[in-house]
Amino acid sequence: MGSIIAVISGKGGVGKTTTTANVGLGIAINNKRCVVVDFDIGQRNLDMILGLENRVVFDIVQVMDGEANVKQALIKSKFDANLFFLAASQTKDKSVLDSDKIQKLVTDLAEDFDYVILDAPAGIESGYEHTIEFADSAIIVVNPEVSSIRDADRAIGILDSKSQKVKEGKEVIKYLVINRIDPKMVQSGEMLTSEDILEILSIPLIGKVPEDRGIIDASNQGKPIILDKNSPAGQAYKRIATRICGEMVAMEDVETIQTGLMSKIKGMFK
Amino acid sequence: MQTKQSSVKVCETTITDEDEFISFFDTNYNLFKDYLIVINGDISEKIESYLNEKKLSFLQNVTLPKGKGRKPVEQELENERAKYLNAQKQLEAELLKSTTPEPVQQRDLKVLDSLVRSGQELNIDGDLLLLNRVNSGATIIIDGNLIITQVVDGSIRCNGNFMMLKASPKANIIFHGVEVDNSFLKDRLNRVELKNNEIVITPVLKEQNWGA
Repeated sequence: MGSIIAVISGKGGVGKTTTTANVGLGIAINNKRCVVVDFDIGQRNLDMILGLENRVVFDIVQVMDGEANVKQALIKSKFDANLFFLAASQTKDKSVLDSDKIQKLVTDLAEDFDYVILDAPAGIESGYEHTIEFADSAIIVVNPEVSSIRDADRAIGILDSKSQKVKEGKEVIKYLVINRIDPKMVQSGEMLTSEDILEILSIPLIGKVPEDRGIIDASNQGKPIILDKNSPAGQAYKRIATRICGEMVAMEDVETIQTGLMSKIKGMFK
Repeated sequence: MQTKQSSVKVCETTITDEDEFISFFDTNYNLFKDYLIVINGDISEKIESYLNEKKLSFLQNVTLPKGKGRKPVEQELENERAKYLNAQKQLEAELLKSTTPEPVQQRDLKVLDSLVRSGQELNIDGDLLLLNRVNSGATIIIDGNLIITQVVDGSIRCNGNFMMLKASPKANIIFHGVEVDNSFLKDRLNRVELKNNEIVITPVLKEQNWGA
């Protein structure tokens, strides 16, 4: 039985879908069978980031309604044979989701795959609650700014009260990803530090991802940034994926400015 | 207003025999001519004309105020004052009773060690000891006393005898319906209590090391 992981954030635009795509691909690269499922019914994006826009035939709602079986709807990634994708419906809205059908779908997927990653919609409405309902663990994606932290805090609160595992008296495992860290802004004190964020949310950190201009281009191209060996964000996602697979990888410092001639010279005199 | 005080000598009498009365005043006229004659009972026309003729001033059927010595007057005044002060004291005591309820020392203490997250609202009847943070967007509403050992970023509504907490500038702390200025609560634990209808904030000077 595979692990069901929900990727949540509360606030929109913090990088949930990017994290889902990259971490999913990273897990596949680690030779684990992984499926990423877009739960953002009505506003799907994950297909584009994975470069599978034109391959979607059946979506999650059709599978749950029995119009297609799971095998037909799963799309194999171009980048790794271990990664599969299940698209959200673009025409329906969140109200079509139903707990029993979701449970059947995700447990069926967990039989076949090592990791089932669910990309939650932004917000804390029914779509979000359905995504977390049957998750074993959750990746919480935040940006180092107050509104993202507060929304994530709220989302964690709901996760801790509404998920099936909690109702059974167990705990949902939580991992924190701090995304879009701008080292310059952290240094100047404009951004919250990781220590502050960890103190507020008090969940274990699984990775820090620096801001990377390459991500927008990667999304436009449909080629996840993790495939770019020179991208600091891509490398950060790779480390996160490896940690999820159970391997210990040291935390890289992404908060201090490491490149640039001046800082290198300064470094020599330290 | 202008007043004039004067002492008047009074001769008070009741007429039984008119002739005796007239002859008495005839013989003692020099003595009584400046007296005020007060007659209890009826006066006949004969007596009235006699008195008028003699130009004696008289009054009929009046109760005269009996003057008192200085000492009894002072004593009376003193008693009045003591009575008034007593009444005032009683009134104040009653007023104080009605505004400050009997202090409740401790009631149903709950101990919690969970993070209070955004969107969570704790409604506590009794006292609470919270060993974790109150995050921005979270609310604690409590009737009793409150101690929070970690930073408060959220909202607190406390109606207890006291609360002890450390709040960030983001927090919203209301104690007995009055908003407490956060700048008094930062950096260290502070004791906030109600004393004589005033909110008193005392910093707990040493940083507490809560069994860590």
